[in-house]
Amino acid sequence: MKNSFRKWLLWAAILAGLYTAPVLFGVFELNLLLGASIFALFSLSLNLLLSFTGLLSFGHAMFFASGAYGTALVLTRLDGCSLLSAIFVGAASAVLVALVLSPLLVRVGGHTFAMLTMAFSQIMYATVMKFSHLTGGNDGMSGFPIPPLVIPAVGLIDMSLERNFYYFSISILGLSAWVMWFFTRTPFGSIMVSIRDNPDRVTYLGFNVPLSKAIILGVSAGFAGVAGSVYALFQNMVSVDGVLGPLSSFTPLINCFIGGLGTFIGPVFGTGIGTILLELMSAHPEQAQLVFSLVLISVVLFLPGGAIMLYWKITSRWIVLRNKFQTAILKGNHES
Amino acid sequence: MDAIAVMLITQGIHGLAYGMLLFLVASGFTLIFGMMGILNIAHASFFMLAAYFAFQIMQWSGSFWLALLLAPIAIAGLGILMERLMLRQIRKFKLGKAVVLFELMLTVGIMVCIEEAVKNLWGTDPEIVNAPELLRGLVQFFGMTYPVYRIFIIGLSCSILLLLGLILFKTRLGNVVRAAVQDADMAGALGVNVPLVFTLVFGLGTWLAGIAGVAAAPMLTVFPGLANQMMLDSFIVVALGGFGSLFGAFVISMLLGELTAFGIQFFPGYSTIILFGFMALVLTIRPSGLFGEKE
Repeated sequence: MKNSFRKWLLWAAILAGLYTAPVLFGVFELNLLLGASIFALFSLSLNLLLSFTGLLSFGHAMFFASGAYGTALVLTRLDGCSLLSAIFVGAASAVLVALVLSPLLVRVGGHTFAMLTMAFSQIMYATVMKFSHLTGGNDGMSGFPIPPLVIPAVGLIDMSLERNFYYFSISILGLSAWVMWFFTRTPFGSIMVSIRDNPDRVTYLGFNVPLSKAIILGVSAGFAGVAGSVYALFQNMVSVDGVLGPLSSFTPLINCFIGGLGTFIGPVFGTGIGTILLELMSAHPEQAQLVFSLVLISVVLFLPGGAIMLYWKITSRWIVLRNKFQTAILKGNHES
Repeated sequence: MDAIAVMLITQGIHGLAYGMLLFLVASGFTLIFGMMGILNIAHASFFMLAAYFAFQIMQWSGSFWLALLLAPIAIAGLGILMERLMLRQIRKFKLGKAVVLFELMLTVGIMVCIEEAVKNLWGTDPEIVNAPELLRGLVQFFGMTYPVYRIFIIGLSCSILLLLGLILFKTRLGNVVRAAVQDADMAGALGVNVPLVFTLVFGLGTWLAGIAGVAAAPMLTVFPGLANQMMLDSFIVVALGGFGSLFGAFVISMLLGELTAFGIQFFPGYSTIILFGFMALVLTIRPSGLFGEKE
């Protein structure tokens, strides 16, 4: 009871922190926070495959990119497209890509899955470059209009204001993260974990493993698409190297590993640590990525549970110390 | 001979030279994967690093031959260190199935680390490595002119290939290595020191990548992005040729080299899509590759 009360308190504090951020911070910190939140959602969607289903994707950026390009395209080509439908188109195009590829992807796992996703994201890169009349090729797309948010009975909310856009996107991202968390708590979420641990057993129990994998892939891709779509709105620009570049699939993976595998919330910590690290190193941008990669290597080598495991270790150590301290005091009292 | 035939043959030899380099990189890649089950994402980064080592050694000594001797050895040393100190460490955690994820991520970290270290040490500008005096210029044959250096690359790769084949298929050491590639547990049960063979093969694989890197330095310009193309191409080679199959790697490397050379001429922009599409198809229909043995 006490534990769950503390949990709710923590959530309320995080929510309050996120919603008071525009009052407390300037535009620069706000943009940093929003950028980090976008990548946190992207990493969370990847984590759904990685931690829960045990599939390592080297091409998750293709779903992020589908979301970004979908939103950018519909806003460029379609006049009067509303904000929410633009985001919906982004998410839907990512799901579509995932569903088209799923007949091939669900059949494999392990190294083959990693290589296959990498191959598909390369195909996507080449396709985006080839259809440069639509996607802008190497230059990317920029300057598309960002429509205001229309809420019935309230009116228009102008998205060109930084604060409004921040509230809007943080709500979308938070809601998506919550839906994803809920998804892992459903019975289907348990099937996901069972597929990771023992796919044969799941088949014997009468569940359709390939179909389940396809659904997970679709959900994961959809939320990566939402992240990409918000990214496109946030930057007001999509470039092929920005969303499909050599490192764009690896960055969320690195976030997941630094944050801690096997937990839902790990990637959020990983993204936070990554953002703080890059910000601390902002005086030496050339060395920032080097330090980042060294952090990854040391996490993989020495702390396979990531930041979460470190936290647990510290707290358990602290509890042990406290108990020792208390027993020492009690003993002392007893003796005297 | 008419101009088109000359162009075709020239382009063909270009493709052969690139295919040979690719094979040097991919053979190490496929050996390491076949034996240890480790997809070494950083393998092509060793190739790139070797090119930089060659550049640096030539800055200091001015001798290409010295670079060709020393740089691959240094790279092999780094590879052995990586295997001994890092990859072996991960297996100690007893992570079960997740060990694959951790190994892949470790190699990803090393790849990023090498690329960023290179950017910090040498900068992002392309560096030029000159071929030695002996190999500069053009050679005349059958009424065609052709750069000597590419012929040299083909010759060098062929001789290394022969050497590798002799060691792998004609010596006892080669038998042991091939046995460990086939079934490491069984080889261990028969008294082979499998960890030592792992280290040896890792060193050999990175040494091959190092040779390719030094040989490629004068032909391609040396820049940090060198690893990307090579990584993707060696991925294709290993996936299509079959994991752990040297013969498959050889055939696909040659095909890919030619395809890259002619693809630029006949269907620019589409060769990537075709190649990766074909790779995806083979991976799903026949995950063991075109030449690999079925599991």
